[in-house]
Amino acid sequence: MLLLKILALGPMNGFAVSQRLKQVSGDVLQVSDGSLYPALHKLEQEGWITAEWKTSEYGRRAKYYSLTRLGRRQLEKETDNWGRLSSAISRVIKLKEA
Amino acid sequence: MRPEHWLYTIPLRLRSLFRWTQMDQELDDELRDHLERKTEEYVAQGMTEEQAHRRARLDLGGIEQTKEKCRDVRKVNWIEDLIQDLRYGLRMLRKSPGFAAIVIFTLALGIGANTAIFSILDSAILKPLPVNDPDSLLIVDWINPEFPAGVANINGGFFPISAGRFQGSSISAKLYRKLAQEQTGFTSLVGIADPNSVAVVVDGQPAEQVSLQYISGNFFQGLNVMLVVGRPFLAVEDHIGQEPVLIVSYRFWTERLARDRNLLNHKVLINNVPAQIVGVAPPGFFGVRAGQWTDIYAPLAMRVAFSPAAGDNLARGEDDRDWWVRQMGRLRPGVSKAEATAKIAGLFRALASQNLSLEPSKVPELITTPGRRGFDSLNPRDASALWILMLLVGVLLLIVCANVANLLLSRSVSRQLESAVRLALGATKGRVFRQHLVESGLVGLLGGAAGLCLGYVLAQSVHLLFESGRDASSMFDLHLDVRVLGYTLLLSILTALLFGSVPALQAARAELNDALKSQAKSVMGRQLRLPALLVSAQIALCLTALFAAGLLGRSLKNLKWTEVGFDRENLVYASVNPGRAGYSAEHLRPYVDRVRDEIARLPGVLQVSTVGHRPMTSGGQLSRVSIPGRPFRIEKGVLTPEQAATVNWVGEGFFETLRIPLLAGRTIDRRDIRADGEAVVVDERFAKHFFPNENPLGRRVGFNPKDNARYEIVGVVQDTRYNSLRDEEAPAVYEPFAPDARSPVNFAIRSTIDSERLAEAVRQVIASVDPAVPLTEFRTQNELIDQLLRTERLLAVMSGAFSLVALTLAAVGIGGVLAYAVARRTNEIGIRMALGAGTGDVVRMVLRDSVSMTVLGILVGLPGAYAIAKVLKATLFHLQALDPRTAFLSFFALIVVAILAAWLPAQRAVRIDPMVALRYE
Repeated sequence: MLLLKILALGPMNGFAVSQRLKQVSGDVLQVSDGSLYPALHKLEQEGWITAEWKTSEYGRRAKYYSLTRLGRRQLEKETDNWGRLSSAISRVIKLKEA
Repeated sequence: MRPEHWLYTIPLRLRSLFRWTQMDQELDDELRDHLERKTEEYVAQGMTEEQAHRRARLDLGGIEQTKEKCRDVRKVNWIEDLIQDLRYGLRMLRKSPGFAAIVIFTLALGIGANTAIFSILDSAILKPLPVNDPDSLLIVDWINPEFPAGVANINGGFFPISAGRFQGSSISAKLYRKLAQEQTGFTSLVGIADPNSVAVVVDGQPAEQVSLQYISGNFFQGLNVMLVVGRPFLAVEDHIGQEPVLIVSYRFWTERLARDRNLLNHKVLINNVPAQIVGVAPPGFFGVRAGQWTDIYAPLAMRVAFSPAAGDNLARGEDDRDWWVRQMGRLRPGVSKAEATAKIAGLFRALASQNLSLEPSKVPELITTPGRRGFDSLNPRDASALWILMLLVGVLLLIVCANVANLLLSRSVSRQLESAVRLALGATKGRVFRQHLVESGLVGLLGGAAGLCLGYVLAQSVHLLFESGRDASSMFDLHLDVRVLGYTLLLSILTALLFGSVPALQAARAELNDALKSQAKSVMGRQLRLPALLVSAQIALCLTALFAAGLLGRSLKNLKWTEVGFDRENLVYASVNPGRAGYSAEHLRPYVDRVRDEIARLPGVLQVSTVGHRPMTSGGQLSRVSIPGRPFRIEKGVLTPEQAATVNWVGEGFFETLRIPLLAGRTIDRRDIRADGEAVVVDERFAKHFFPNENPLGRRVGFNPKDNARYEIVGVVQDTRYNSLRDEEAPAVYEPFAPDARSPVNFAIRSTIDSERLAEAVRQVIASVDPAVPLTEFRTQNELIDQLLRTERLLAVMSGAFSLVALTLAAVGIGGVLAYAVARRTNEIGIRMALGAGTGDVVRMVLRDSVSMTVLGILVGLPGAYAIAKVLKATLFHLQALDPRTAFLSFFALIVVAILAAWLPAQRAVRIDPMVALRYE
């Protein structure tokens, strides 16, 4: 879900994804580079993101990932689920012992 | 997963499957790009180039590992792996073609035998009818506590079932038509009679015998069978007095009409009655009984027109007391089977009670049985023979599996090092297991393909053996179809799993340390336990096969040499059918006398006589005996064994020709042979049964309660077998032979010359008396007996062949394991010999291994042998299921094989030179 959300911001390559992930989560969520790529490939196989080779700003060829329609729907669904789940958890946690 | 999702992902998967080199390249590029950027970043943070590069790689956690993980998420990885494994497997097979050939040949034997028997079993018993939606077909039969009241004759099935009741399958044509018209539970109810043999003349060519079936007008429409040419029958054509119309089979159309689409151009005579062909059935449509090919179909009502005029002047028409039409219905959609059955049974009760003027309670109860496979194509004995063969080939396949497993095992032992290295390099156990299984699967499929070819050939020959002595129109449809292909494929895969799992497990368990150590020689022990167990399993199964073959073989021998009561050697029967050439009753007598005299004059012929029913051919006649002054009871309208006697018609000199001893009185002679001849001869069984403690000579008997003094007993002869070698025979009566125009005349000939020369001579004699009457059949008595034992012989021959193959495989298995053991123990044997062991000791050592494996196998196999004996019990004749002689012979054969198989390895062990063996270390 996190990867989908990040890619929802716009197409970017694997390196950028890893940078952005570190940035936004404030180093709390550490996704190692070693598991990032398999995760991206998995999303691609599921058809939620698509990839194309583009030449980047420095004239370097890189693989850019972007969200597909299917992925957007999946993101909405998962965001929804997460919202429900987290609010449920926080309700439980906030329960005062009677 | 949602379907649209699938739509989206499938191209991705395909892309990853077919363009995986490109994918890999891209993956490579992507990761390299990542590393470069990361390195740049670290350099920017102040690291040296080298440090930064190292750090970046560490972050990634190993390039190759990451790559592999990325590949794994593609989900089609297993297909790539599979292709890799298949390539590897093929390469391994190519590297050792001899090994591959042996494995594939062995598998082909096992799978081929199974395919062959299955294809016969399938076409004879399992396969549904070649019509549209066979599952909705129901056969309509009836059940009654007795022979149905008011019925004179039943043509079709009629047999006792449980609780003293009888089941029958046919009704009268008129009843059928009314039933078909008024019934509502079926979309259509079709009527069909059992096939008749008729003489057909096409466009003036010579007459031929073909099989004709009378069917209802709605037959082809009702079964949903589309004709390839012409039209089905019309309802109006099923009426007496209509112009006869015919539909012919595709085969008949091809062979006799050269596929001429202008059917109306051909002039056809059926039993000398002109008829018109209006349609051609589709190819592959044999009718409604597998293995029985009908050449010509005609409307039910044509039976009256086509039947040869009988001598008696009975009214020619359809009689409600004559039941001969079987019925099959297609269930109406939305109607349950029970509902349809109840409806038609009620309707039949009403119609039959009206037509036969019976109380409704006396009308048989209609029932329905599944019609998806049509009418039973085999008698229960033949069907069970096929199942027994299926069981035997199953055992054979297990033996083959054990054998192949052992072969693969011996190879995987030598490949232990390879597997161990793979495991050490990080392959998972599952992966190694899978790779070995894929190799086995490959071998299995290759074996299956070879087995299919072998099976096809084998099926044809088994079929010939199975059908020998039946007429040409009874052939099963044996072409390789999807069902047989599917069966073979499934069998190959199952077999591969079975024989492949053991070596694969072994390989996946490989430990590098062990493997490396075993390079440095080890004693046999543990390593060879598994192969030895497999060989024992093979012996166990082999015992089962041998025991079965022994029992079936001995049973056949018992049957074959059952005392028949006459001299079966040098006895032949020549048959002619003068009635078909136009001889009338009064001209027949002189013709028959003349032929008999001419044959008697042939050199080498000792005696000639005539007989109505050749002994030991199926058919024959049972009649109800009635005796003056004795009450005549009819129970349930059926012939009870107490009153039944077999009847035969014999000419003068018959008993002398067959060498049946006369016990009292005289035999039938010339003066008895006339239409009103009264003299009959009975056998001892008859005399004892009907006239216990009385002198039967001079007593009068009859076969009709109203004329029970028709015949006088003039002689008593010794008992003979009439129809069967197996069952108890009924008492027999011999009437004087009076030839009649409708049945063939058989000459029984006792001679001293061989049957082939005699056949030629007899053919010439018959042609010289009247060229218009051909010799229709010429059989020796022993041929007739063999024909009777067709099923038993098939079982004995096939089980014998299978057990020979099984024995050979067992011998190969034992020999292989022993050879391997000797090779591994070269060291040990060398030491033993150096320490003074003699040749005898070494040979004994090898033999002991062989015999102990065999004895273990025999012990394990005893329950299997017991089980197969139980299965075979019903088919055996005059033989205990646990026949000690057969058991002893089986054990003996196995031990002999064990000793023979040990011979080569023992020789090799003896030739070991202690010095060489020790230096080898």
